Amino acid sequence: MKGKHRIIVSTKRLKYDFELRRNLTIIRGDSATGKTTLVDMIREYVNNPSGTPVELVCDKKCYVLEGSLWKGQLGEISDSIVFIDEGNEFIRTEEFAGTIQKTDNYYVIVSRESLPTLPYSVEEIYGIRTSGKYGTLKQIYHEFYRLYGTNAYQREIMPEVIITEDSNSGYQFFKQICRENQLECETMNGKSNIFHYLNAHKDEKILVIADGAAFGSEMDRVQKLISDRKNMALYLPESFEWLILSSGILKKSTVMAVLHTPYDYVESEKYFSWERFFTAILINETKDTYLAYLKRKLNPVYLNDSAKEAILSQMTKIRLDWKINDQ
Amino acid sequence: MLNIYYGNMKEAVYNTAAYFKYDYEDSWIVDPFVKEMIQDVDQSTVLDSGVIDSPVLGKIPPIGLSGGVKTLILVKFDKDKVFNVSTCGDNCAKWLLRIAESEDRTVNLLHLMDFGKESFAVRVLNTDQIVHSMEELVSIAGEFV
Repeated sequence: MKGKHRIIVSTKRLKYDFELRRNLTIIRGDSATGKTTLVDMIREYVNNPSGTPVELVCDKKCYVLEGSLWKGQLGEISDSIVFIDEGNEFIRTEEFAGTIQKTDNYYVIVSRESLPTLPYSVEEIYGIRTSGKYGTLKQIYHEFYRLYGTNAYQREIMPEVIITEDSNSGYQFFKQICRENQLECETMNGKSNIFHYLNAHKDEKILVIADGAAFGSEMDRVQKLISDRKNMALYLPESFEWLILSSGILKKSTVMAVLHTPYDYVESEKYFSWERFFTAILINETKDTYLAYLKRKLNPVYLNDSAKEAILSQMTKIRLDWKINDQ
Repeated sequence: MLNIYYGNMKEAVYNTAAYFKYDYEDSWIVDPFVKEMIQDVDQSTVLDSGVIDSPVLGKIPPIGLSGGVKTLILVKFDKDKVFNVSTCGDNCAKWLLRIAESEDRTVNLLHLMDFGKESFAVRVLNTDQIVHSMEELVSIAGEFV
């Protein structure tokens, strides 16, 4: 499945209206905001097709997945939106992650757990809030709101150390940038090690650069750790490949169209996260050209002055040259 | 004191809503402490042991309470069990602390619940350390979730 899908589910008393853009959406937040009620309403609609007070408007079929027979149920579901309420232990398993990866559904999961086996985006973690929009109709309206903003720093970030989640091209790029600017650059060999590193280096000026498209499972604890620390900051583009594509180096209008509405292009069955999609696009679009991109080894052309400048210029509020320019 | 084990805990009851359904007792619902808790978290009024007035859902039975409140009630009354309190939002944190004010309770958390800016006392069982602020708690417990 791909695309943006709007879901409106309502009864006489309640109304939910929201859009899904990716294969994985997480709902969490305070108790009594209506998360379980939303799933209950969808279950009611699906289980009683001949007569239900619940109305559901969506261009895709919706289902609720639960219990020990989840795998069998999932085998019968395709091209649909699948809701999973909290209390279903299977969502934490490798088996679940491996199974849904091969499906063409979108999943909406109610859970406050980090769920490290699922590559969900920091942008697709929502809470539910009540709006007064339909108050006069005596129908209480619920909408989703993003729990984490992205890259919204007001102050300038001037790090002494940059850390990246792996040692691929992104790390190789920033390692070179750091070398030129007398900064340090470290790879964490996996996003789950970022928290521990930050925890052990509390007084250092650190910038974390990670793939926002799959950083959702780490976001809560990392955000809570650094929220009161002005010496630490997060930069979470979709991925390093997205950063290159967005820089305009490729000069292709088709790429820009994809970046404008990725959800119209990312086939969920093929790409478990958008990070993988952007990598595939970059490799494909640069194949057999001087810009040929490899994930494992950075093509030195991306370290040319013009390419470097184009990539780094997108990192607004982040000053990597402060040491050599201010000295 | 509130004792918290962070991360997977085999003996903890994971699906607290399902457990509550067949375990709650009428007397628990009309307990003055529970009434106050339901009013605060769910903004709902207990009319009697079987009926609660919700501003959103109308008249509901106890099993219609929020997952967070149901878990809090279990923690309060089912003292010998360990429950997964990641079914509780941050708006339940102060109630967990209040329940464990006079009697020890052990709970399981799979995320970093926010206990607020004021000082509190919580024992992190993973390291057997007592912490008094979110800064201390996140630094220690964050390694296990």
